[in-house]
Amino acid sequence: MSREQYQIPTGSAGAGGAGSGAMGAGSFNAAAARDYEGGGLMHYMCGDCAVRVPLEKGAPIRCQKCGARVLYKERTKRMVQFEAR
Amino acid sequence: MPHKPPTTEELERRKIVGIREETITDVTSTDFPGHYPGEDHSWDIERFRQGFRVEFHHNETFEASFSLIGIDASIANAFRRIMIADIPTLAIETVFINNNTSVIQDEVLSHRLGLIPFKGGHDGLHKFIKWYRKPDDQSQLDSSYFDNNTVSLRLEVKCEHNDKAAAGETDPTKLYKHAHVYARDIEFVPVGRQLQYFSGEDAIAPVNPDILIAKLRPGQEISLSMHMHKGVGSDHAKFSPVATASYRLMPVITIERPILGRDAEKFARCFPKGVIGLEKVTRKEAAKKGSGYEGHEGELKAVVRDPMRDTVSRECLRHDEFKGKVKLGRRRDHFIYLVESTGQLQSDEIFLEAVAHLKKRAQFLEKQVMNMVR
Repeated sequence: MSREQYQIPTGSAGAGGAGSGAMGAGSFNAAAARDYEGGGLMHYMCGDCAVRVPLEKGAPIRCQKCGARVLYKERTKRMVQFEAR
Repeated sequence: MPHKPPTTEELERRKIVGIREETITDVTSTDFPGHYPGEDHSWDIERFRQGFRVEFHHNETFEASFSLIGIDASIANAFRRIMIADIPTLAIETVFINNNTSVIQDEVLSHRLGLIPFKGGHDGLHKFIKWYRKPDDQSQLDSSYFDNNTVSLRLEVKCEHNDKAAAGETDPTKLYKHAHVYARDIEFVPVGRQLQYFSGEDAIAPVNPDILIAKLRPGQEISLSMHMHKGVGSDHAKFSPVATASYRLMPVITIERPILGRDAEKFARCFPKGVIGLEKVTRKEAAKKGSGYEGHEGELKAVVRDPMRDTVSRECLRHDEFKGKVKLGRRRDHFIYLVESTGQLQSDEIFLEAVAHLKKRAQFLEKQVMNMVR
């Protein structure tokens, strides 16, 4: 399957490019409505002030506290197994 | 020509490895059958028993030093190797990381955790804990962990700002809570019968609680659990019960002609402290013709006091004034061991285990050979 064909499982197909701020603001309400499904809100780490930033899908990628535009994904919540060697 | 049996001096001489200025002589042992015509050097248990001696120099929890005298290098080396690689201990083998947001990577953190030496109740470690065998079928993995083959540990640390820190504080350990993660933060989680073997004083705990595992900053967290298994040093160095187990041969210093006066003082300085002593030449010695002491009564002479402390640096062989007066060597059948325990076993116990292990192996081999002949 090519990248263009891929459908995001939750939400409208149009919100695929969540990069631009204007588009994100437009789909804000739709994202809030999806919140009860559990997949809407994601937490990121601010690259500047290290605060936990909750982001709706399509929301502008920006830290609410300091305004930095670099956000990092959080580490996986899954357990990872290693050999102590 | 009939064969003359060797004198005691000759037998002593055969045991010495010569150490010259730039060469080592008589490296190999010669006490095997057929080397000296007419002499029987076949191995005999009675002769071994008479010649063999064990001397303990010091024996503490973490370090033991002892001598095995009258034993062949092959056996001595076997003991050393068994102590390093074949005595089983308990160590962290698998790490299950739930969260690790510290700067130290998961793999590196796991490796560091594995190397931490642990202690615990003697009976539990030796009698209760058995070998863990990984099942061939991966789906059976979850049902392969029992209280008598796996020890569970946990490490949960979260770093936060310390509100009580003084203004202008720069020390991270005071500025933040849990800025440093130490081995003492590891928590033992007893399961089943482990409670009766590892409780109170006997609990599984790191030998050195001050080992630094990682450093954290506010907001960072380490949350993981660990499984300990029994293993041997040949599999991984973390299972080795010793930091080092080594031996050296007993140094021999022979002063062949008197070293007197200022030369004696210089001679003593050529060796570590305590190896060479200075004594006054007595009247009796001075009166003896041909002893080399004539007319030197009351002067200082060098005597060998404690050759075991010598490092055999050969410094004395560099100086012309001692040429032909001193001979250095090592006793080929006198092994001075130094065993440093990591703390799970007592250092002397490691040696005793090594002896038992070699015996077990030899008995196993005997059985195999018997089967082969049959």
